[in-house]
Amino acid sequence: MRDLLVLFQKEWRENTRNYKILWIPLIFVFFGITEPVTNHYLPQILEAVGNIPEDAMFPFPEFTAAQILMSTMGQYQFIGMLVLVLGFMGTISRERKNGTGTLLYVRPISFFSYFLSKWKVVSIIAIGSVWLGLLTSWYYTELLFGNVPASDFFAFAGTYSVWILFVVTVVLAASAWLPTGGAAGVSLALVLVIQIIDSLLGTYWTISPWKISTYATQWLTGSPTMGDFWWSMAVTIIAIIALMIFGTWMSKRNASKTKV
Amino acid sequence: MTLILQAEHLTKIYGAEHAVKDVSFSLAEKSSTALIGPNGAGKTTTLSMLAGLLNQTTGTISLNGETNPDVRKSIGFLPQYPQFFSWLTALEFTEMAAKLSGMDSKHAKIEAQKTLEFVGLGEALKKKTGTFSGGMKQRLGLAQAIVHKPKLLLLDEPVSALDPVGRREVMDLLKNLQQDMTILYSTHILNDAEEMTDQLLFLRKGELVEQGSLGDVRAKYDSPRYLVEFTSEEDALNFAARAPWKVSYRGTLGLIDITNGLPEMKDLLGYLAGSGLTVRKAERQTASLEEIFLKVAGRR
Repeated sequence: MRDLLVLFQKEWRENTRNYKILWIPLIFVFFGITEPVTNHYLPQILEAVGNIPEDAMFPFPEFTAAQILMSTMGQYQFIGMLVLVLGFMGTISRERKNGTGTLLYVRPISFFSYFLSKWKVVSIIAIGSVWLGLLTSWYYTELLFGNVPASDFFAFAGTYSVWILFVVTVVLAASAWLPTGGAAGVSLALVLVIQIIDSLLGTYWTISPWKISTYATQWLTGSPTMGDFWWSMAVTIIAIIALMIFGTWMSKRNASKTKV
Repeated sequence: MTLILQAEHLTKIYGAEHAVKDVSFSLAEKSSTALIGPNGAGKTTTLSMLAGLLNQTTGTISLNGETNPDVRKSIGFLPQYPQFFSWLTALEFTEMAAKLSGMDSKHAKIEAQKTLEFVGLGEALKKKTGTFSGGMKQRLGLAQAIVHKPKLLLLDEPVSALDPVGRREVMDLLKNLQQDMTILYSTHILNDAEEMTDQLLFLRKGELVEQGSLGDVRAKYDSPRYLVEFTSEEDALNFAARAPWKVSYRGTLGLIDITNGLPEMKDLLGYLAGSGLTVRKAERQTASLEEIFLKVAGRR
């Protein structure tokens, strides 16, 4: 497994030198700050912008601290997922397309190491970004709205991390399987479109990877139904492992499509 | 003479198209073999199969007597247009290549540096490969192919992208390497093939249409002839009309081909001396590899 270490170092250098290690966390931190801050100062912002009749009275909604964290996660569920998909959709397919993969594939590497090295680096960046963002959000929520107990927060962020790992694995497996454009399409369909379908029709079932984010938020207001929660976690982890095997297999099969 | 590689009935089919069709050859240890043929003849496909990038549809590859082995452990491969991770330096890349081929970290670093100096990139060790010119990329490509000291070196058009100076240098490097490695390279620059080759493999439309040593192939396709050059076209015309051999001529300079019924050189010279024609040059020619190439490539 020494090739894993060498390839990991290569991936790490790549993501450091193209600054993904910087700008992806920054986006998550940005939403971690703006959600609590804009919600708190909404009345003042509207007043400063003007155009509101003097005597108009708006019943501004009163948000709880938990709701602010949930809406931060709501931003991540759309913009964050878009960033992860678009940021990493070419991780494997690009190396085939531009031919940089060729000089790796002719060496005695194991394709599992190849896939895993990428998975590790992308997971570290994605999970790191999400945690940085959520911790920032938690801090500003504490300042501006009130307390969310640490145990609730960690259960929430921990559960949400499993969903993030699922997303990362989907994106990388798609990139191993298809050209970059196709990988983006499949990833967006699996992450965003099914997410919407699950939230529209999801009352009919309770066990699915797309329920993980809902269960994560339930830790903030109480706790999810334990059976459904653990079954969904188990299904998601099995899906992650299956996707990793699929990704490894596809990396190997598609190695012959690299530009020579 | 030990055989290091044997390819038997190698065939690659894409859909209905035979990219490579029933190709068999073998490479002797520390020999160099030139794979030549027109564009689209299947040279790159053949090399890709030998490099383990493509699976052959049918046929077998044996390396050191082992049939269909993991060739990746024993080869170095240079693609026609090597692509590098633009954000790695030449040294980082070569070091990574060495490590991925199983070298330990300490040796990888030393060997990477030595190899880069050997290919003439000693000045550019710490430069990002993204800033490299075409010639530098080709040299780096060669460095990564030899850094782990493979037994078999597969090179796809190693010098076609280089200017004459670079081509000369790389050919000299390859001649140097030949003492330690078996080399199989494709090329369409026939002078280079002529310069360094123990064996020629001619591919045309995926088929191996000719193979053998340069001498054998030359003997087979050579049509010896004399070329006589006169100072005026008039003399050339006179010669063509009166000479006792079948003669063709072309050009205002009075170039004469004798293509048939070949005389001895002394008979020709004797005839020319007695003819009163003004001769500038008379020589016996052998076919260049290029002419052989055109003959083989154009053969129906």
